[in-house]
Amino acid sequence: MSAGFLTVIEAGSTQVTDLGRTRGPRYGVPVGGALDQRSARIANILTGNPDGAPLLEIMAMDVEFVADTDILIALAGAEASLLVGGTRRPNEQPVSVRAGETIEIRRITGGLRAYLAIRGSLDVPRLLGSCAPDSVLGFGGRLVAGQRIPLGRATPPIVNEHFGAELYRLNVPPRPDATTVDATDGPDIADFANTAARLYGEPYVVSPTSNHIGLRMTGVLPERQVQGEVLSRGVPVGAVEVPPGTELLVLHRGRGVTAGYPVLAVVTTASLDVLAQARPGQTLRFRRVSEAYAAERARAERAALDALRLRVQSVFTALDAFPTSFGRTLS
Amino acid sequence: MSVPMSATIAVSGNAALRVSSTLADREAGWRLVHHLARFIDDARVPGIACVIPTYDAALIEIDPVEASLERVRSYVESVLERIDVGRPLTETHRLFDVPVLYDLDGELDLAMIAEAQGLRPTEIVRLHSEPTYVVRCLGAPGGSPMLDGPAFPAPVPRLSSPRASVPQGVVSVAGRQATITPAAAPGGWPLIGRTPLVLLDLDAEPFVPYEPGDLIRFHAIERDEYDALLGTRMVAA
Repeated sequence: MSAGFLTVIEAGSTQVTDLGRTRGPRYGVPVGGALDQRSARIANILTGNPDGAPLLEIMAMDVEFVADTDILIALAGAEASLLVGGTRRPNEQPVSVRAGETIEIRRITGGLRAYLAIRGSLDVPRLLGSCAPDSVLGFGGRLVAGQRIPLGRATPPIVNEHFGAELYRLNVPPRPDATTVDATDGPDIADFANTAARLYGEPYVVSPTSNHIGLRMTGVLPERQVQGEVLSRGVPVGAVEVPPGTELLVLHRGRGVTAGYPVLAVVTTASLDVLAQARPGQTLRFRRVSEAYAAERARAERAALDALRLRVQSVFTALDAFPTSFGRTLS
Repeated sequence: MSVPMSATIAVSGNAALRVSSTLADREAGWRLVHHLARFIDDARVPGIACVIPTYDAALIEIDPVEASLERVRSYVESVLERIDVGRPLTETHRLFDVPVLYDLDGELDLAMIAEAQGLRPTEIVRLHSEPTYVVRCLGAPGGSPMLDGPAFPAPVPRLSSPRASVPQGVVSVAGRQATITPAAAPGGWPLIGRTPLVLLDLDAEPFVPYEPGDLIRFHAIERDEYDALLGTRMVAA
């Protein structure tokens, strides 16, 4: 039996997603999932959910929801105004919402994608273990007004509805610089000879045709110096390619898993989150880094999230509002 | 440990390695990367997210926090040394017979391909429906069966501007490759016909009925046959 429902009043451009379908790529299906993985993890961590729990990815446009039961939510990712029952509430903090109170997310500005997690998550269909939408397979998709999403659990209001910034500062690690994109040399960089250096020297402007499959960018393009057919092969998320035309292509999590273009560079896992927040028209610069540096960044970011998870758990424990182990339903 | 002679391993970002066969025998190289993928899948190595084996390469994606590229590289080297490339991928391969309504009415790209190859459209159809193809790998979009191309005189260039959406069931060729599209998606491969069969079944894992090593044959059908078969699920003969 469902704990209640979250009803969509204003859908914007929103979908239910998670950290992705890792069993997909071996079957020719992209991993997909939250484009800004770090922000999705933060939203879930702040509500005490497992990092990979289903949550809402809200892109650019205003949204409004209402739940028919008390819930605990957290908003992370792009800068946005969170209003609960018409009152401004903090981002990047757990926020209690009473049954019937509206949840509005307005003015998504700094960035493109905001993530809304709900303690206990959402009860949604999965494919190969993931609820991430796949437009090619026709699985999942954008929410529509009036849609009712079953909630995983209810969470009674905590501490006079003022749990959060007023009582605790959970110190969410700050977002990285939004204009620098770290990349490592790709396995086919030699195909571009001395034009490869342009990638790190020239500014690139994000095109409006960018999406979850890849970001397209205009600028002075590196040029492939060798001709010849490349057999289709697996391409990593983050692959920087120069397809025919006038744009650079940086593949993101919705990319087709196989392709026949040479890989000039690969955006680091940490900077893929930066790209997820890049808006059309924004100017980005690529910075050449080593794989070792990128790995260290990835570990440092994850360690910061692990520390956040511990802080959240101790706050919940201190409030005596939640069990330390996930899964018990409060009545 | 020395790098095995059967493959090169190239770093592809901080979360992936590309293993490329260096074997002169293409068939052996294909078996090498697929045996590698299956071995790693079965071993469930912590920190390895997935393996994508294709024609002559396998992309190994890792979680850069749980695993390091160096460790995964040594692991892959040790696995490569143990692979018997002479061993077939499947004990018994299934055969799929795929009816195709070839584009002889000029709706798709068959005429263009024929002209570029210096052949008549009917010769393109004959060359495409002649061989028995091996499913080399599952690819994009949606688990497409990736095949070797027909014996055309020259590689088939990709379209200069890709289509925004290619419908499901389309049969296409590009370079020295051929495939069938299980699900509608954008595509830059020239199209030569359509099959009425349905490839995708989201209730099954995998979603498509074939796997690498299975066989596919194409045969030409007329429009009335196409209409009669439309929506039939693709099953092994």
